[in-house]
Amino acid sequence: MRISIRSGLVIGWRQLFESLLSPGFYVMLSVGLALGSLLVAGFTGSIDSSGFEPQASPLYDLISRSLSGAFGATFVEKLFAEGPFLFALVAAFLPVSVYLAIASVFRFAQEKNAGAVELLVYGPADGTSYILAAFLKDLILSAGSLALIAAAFAVEAALTNLLLGPLFLWALAALFLLSASFFAYGLLCSIVVVSSSSAIALFLGISLVFSLVFAGSFTIVSAPVRTLSSTAAALLSWISPFFYAGMIFRGVQAGSQGAVLAGLLLLAFLSALLVLAGRLIIDAKGVRA
Amino acid sequence: MRKAFAAVLLLAAPLALARADVPVRTEQLIYSVIAFNGRDYTPTFAPESSSAVYLLAGADSFISLRKTLVYFWPLTGRLQTDTQTLNEQLDGTLEVRDRRGKVLRSISLQRYTFFNVRGEYEQNWKVAVDADAEKEYQRYLSLYRSFMKSIDDYTRANTEYLAKLKEMSDRIESLKASGKDVRALQEKMSSVPRPRQPDEPADYVVPPAPLQQAFVVNLPPGRYRVRLINPDGSVMEGSDKRIICTTPRRSGSVGYQVLPSDKWTRPEESKTPSAVIYVNGSADLYVSVFYQDELNDLAYQKTLDNAARGNPNVFSWVRIQQVPHASLQMSGADGMASVLQERPFTVQQSQGSSLGYTIIPYDPLGGQKSPDLMAFRVPVSTGTRLIRLSARDNGGKPLPESGRQIRIVSPEVPSLVFALLAIIPLAAMIVVLAMRRRYSRQGTTSRAE
Repeated sequence: MRISIRSGLVIGWRQLFESLLSPGFYVMLSVGLALGSLLVAGFTGSIDSSGFEPQASPLYDLISRSLSGAFGATFVEKLFAEGPFLFALVAAFLPVSVYLAIASVFRFAQEKNAGAVELLVYGPADGTSYILAAFLKDLILSAGSLALIAAAFAVEAALTNLLLGPLFLWALAALFLLSASFFAYGLLCSIVVVSSSSAIALFLGISLVFSLVFAGSFTIVSAPVRTLSSTAAALLSWISPFFYAGMIFRGVQAGSQGAVLAGLLLLAFLSALLVLAGRLIIDAKGVRA
Repeated sequence: MRKAFAAVLLLAAPLALARADVPVRTEQLIYSVIAFNGRDYTPTFAPESSSAVYLLAGADSFISLRKTLVYFWPLTGRLQTDTQTLNEQLDGTLEVRDRRGKVLRSISLQRYTFFNVRGEYEQNWKVAVDADAEKEYQRYLSLYRSFMKSIDDYTRANTEYLAKLKEMSDRIESLKASGKDVRALQEKMSSVPRPRQPDEPADYVVPPAPLQQAFVVNLPPGRYRVRLINPDGSVMEGSDKRIICTTPRRSGSVGYQVLPSDKWTRPEESKTPSAVIYVNGSADLYVSVFYQDELNDLAYQKTLDNAARGNPNVFSWVRIQQVPHASLQMSGADGMASVLQERPFTVQQSQGSSLGYTIIPYDPLGGQKSPDLMAFRVPVSTGTRLIRLSARDNGGKPLPESGRQIRIVSPEVPSLVFALLAIIPLAAMIVVLAMRRRYSRQGTTSRAE
């Protein structure tokens, strides 16, 4: 096990270097930052003598109308209560995390198909090392991205006299662990299916289902609906990273440190469980495609 | 002319076939609800299609079961009742059961009224039932009659006063015309006492509603099943519903209402305890402090309106009432603190072509009987960057979750800096790729050598 971890670290380090040498990561990070900066600039343009007035900016008018229509005015009020940075953080980090997850899924499945992983395991490394390497590489890159986004937002906050806010700081931790869970899901997808395109399709499908279930739980309704689909969604939510992210959000809103901590720990636990599941599957199936 | 008239008639003939789109009315057994929402009472109704009635736990709300006509009104997209055509209240007992069917309460119909008595602030709702309700309503009627009588007396006295003034004025004019001294008469005229307009009864903010019969429901938090038991002991068909009684998740937190001096009609509320009040600093702020409770968004919206939509996974802060005799500690970015006191203010519409309002301190000796708002004036300018507020109660004790920041956002957004921040990763990419090319060239050269 110790050898697997050590090999994983070495391979992960090499993979990290390779990722930093390709332009994709930088481009997605720039896209994310541009999106975030646009949202911050739009927010400052929506401030008048009475406070935040979404109608003053066409961008925020559109955002607030869309979000209010789906999730209600209370949700929007809470989302922007501390300023624009919570929403901007999600918007800025989303392209980066999606890119990292898909790149890992594609790469792992492709290398497995090409027999590169099989070649590697003739040495001291094994399948677990390779999973761990990809996972660690994604963790480091997502932590770096979040740090850079947070630093850029801190500069923007200082320039505009906005506040990052306590929810923003919680969101940094939650987004990091949330992305970790999705990276783990991505790796699991690339382990269980044969081709890289199938792995990406499976990963995107799972992510979409989780996103829809999560969005559904925050959608405004006229009555509490108890149907088969909502029961299925309730069952599915336990394996959804969004469920635990929602727990953190609700915990912060309720001022419950316990719920926040539980949400963070459960997210980390889910990621660990998925990596473990990947390891068990790869041990049983082998690394041959 | 005749031809033109005939042509118009011919063109208008198809309109005779057009009819108004009358909504289809169906007779339904509805739950008519007057629910206490934490702040005041709001009427709503639950039609047959609605499975639940939402109430606030621990507060008196009024439910009556009625047969009425219900129709869908497409303009608002809502169900409406036609109580003018049919409004039959059903007699009986409201049976409240728990989830297992055990009868918890049997509530009989009671005559009731509810009213808000005048206090310094808005939250003074009272409920009276049966004899007390009758007594309260009679008291209100007596006050009202007495006020109306004093209005009549005032009108009569005022007419006499004006007639007397006119008579004296005419006499003065005629004396003036004949060149006589009118000073004595003028003095007498100015000393004629003007009748005083009677004040409205100050006892009630909202007077007692006319007495009605309903089931006065006050339940602890939980989910219940209810149905109407007819006077003969049978169960009224279609009367089964759920009552969902909610209670605030958190109570006694403090929210702020912020009124900029240039937008008196558009107040903003800062309810979330971690919220920041962002303004552009172009106008002073008038701030009032209120207590708020945190309720489930869906349950609260449905308490206000049974047909409303809400978010079941989000809790919203609901303003309850202004904090009585609060004080506000204000400190700037330098940490210098000062204590603000609540003051009465009057809002005056700007005269002339300029639009807007001016908020000035209330003058009790001026023409206005009562101030328009009680608030703390927080001076704000574009030079200010940060103001910290925290509210204290009557005894000077800090109120929970009352800390807020007012931040004056810089109006000139440095777009270039924002753009530079966004292209940092691209710049890093160029550097990395250039270094990579350089190293790979060096490697190729050294291998060639």
